Amino acid sequence: MDDLLVQSVLVQWRVNGKLHEIEAMPGMSLLDAVREQLGLTGTHMGCQTGHCGACTVMLDGRIVKSCLTQAATLPRAEIVTIEGLKRADGTLNPVQQAFWDEAGFQCGYCAPGMLLSAMELLAEHPEPTDAQIDTGLAGNLCRCTGYRSLVRAVKAAARKLQDTSGQTPG
Amino acid sequence: MSLYPSFARPNSLAQASELLAGLSGGSVIIAGGQEIMPYINHGAMQPDIYIDIGGLKELRGISEADGVVSIGALTVHRELQGNAIVAEKLPMLADAASRAGGGRQVHNRATLGGNLVAMHPLYDIAPALLALGAEVELVKAGETRRTSLAALMHETSHGLGSEAILVRVLVPAMAAGTGWAYEKLKLSGGAYGSANAAATVQLDAGRITAATLMIGAVADRIIDAAAAVQGLIGQAWTAAAAEQLELRCPALVKQPLSDQQGSGEWRQAMAGVVARRAMAAAVARAGQK
Repeated sequence: MDDLLVQSVLVQWRVNGKLHEIEAMPGMSLLDAVREQLGLTGTHMGCQTGHCGACTVMLDGRIVKSCLTQAATLPRAEIVTIEGLKRADGTLNPVQQAFWDEAGFQCGYCAPGMLLSAMELLAEHPEPTDAQIDTGLAGNLCRCTGYRSLVRAVKAAARKLQDTSGQTPG
Repeated sequence: MSLYPSFARPNSLAQASELLAGLSGGSVIIAGGQEIMPYINHGAMQPDIYIDIGGLKELRGISEADGVVSIGALTVHRELQGNAIVAEKLPMLADAASRAGGGRQVHNRATLGGNLVAMHPLYDIAPALLALGAEVELVKAGETRRTSLAALMHETSHGLGSEAILVRVLVPAMAAGTGWAYEKLKLSGGAYGSANAAATVQLDAGRITAATLMIGAVADRIIDAAAAVQGLIGQAWTAAAAEQLELRCPALVKQPLSDQQGSGEWRQAMAGVVARRAMAAAVARAGQK
């Protein structure tokens, strides 16, 4: 049985569309792997306890806190970080643009969690109620905005996505 | 502790159990990671060996047979919130799972098993499962054991998390017409409740024929308030009955928690408040389908 024990795990992840092979040491978080081994520092390190949401990434189509996920437990994974949100032509996606328009960014530290949470919320609830927005963003802390501009940004993003739906997919 | 911990990802329950039985200690079981990663990140836990049970198919899936819903320990909160069997047969569990803290990111990854193994007095799932009379299936050293969740939560030698694996949670489907409510009183917008209560009730011609009530987040163990609900049996739910219940519950909280969620004295009082609110909501829901 001891032959099951290894000192590192070679994982294969597609990150923002690009395939990577990484040697994951036991105990290392997905956050550290993304920032230090892949150099994608847009994913922010905050509390490392799961409270703040600044380290949010999308893992196999669902948002997760990368500090709470151990890299070695993901032998194969599809990951999207904040660097992967922009459109192919380099412009902001509609949710990012709505956050920009409505002052949803101030210092930007919470942006990974706020943007990815907003995108998951709007995928499930294209016309979210205030309560759904509160629940959808609940996993993220923001020290700048007082949250009002974030709620406005999500509503603006919903309108943008409604306007463009039916014209261009995605 | 070791500077260079090892890692194993067994691919069957039998293999995982055999591996754990052969280790002398210092190992920790990991799945979603939501419970233990904060301790790892901050160095408060430094295991020699991680056993990743995320690949065990035996711990997955939700099914119903003979009036019992069987839920794999790797089921995440999000699945509990949205699964059709849970929604129909165990609506209180779906509701409690949606009230857990940490946001959608945590709901997407936090497992039922990890939540229960943590034995955390402030967590939301256990009060609901206890009120529903849940049982659990454990595997230790190749042997499968079934026990009530209530008994497990008072065992100090369960070995869960390092020697024993929680495989499935087995919950009797709620009978048609059962009233239920999960009440969580929060002091702030944070994750934790200051007091919570899970209640079920059966009514016949306006009178209470059966009821369960669990009170959490006020003591280091979840409190079974059976003694307080006993007086309700055979009664109608009146303002006097509600007041009686509220006044009986604080005495059941012998050693209240006193922490960021509120002082001990206040928590004792709130135990009565959430009990009353939960039972009132359960009664209001009873008989509706």
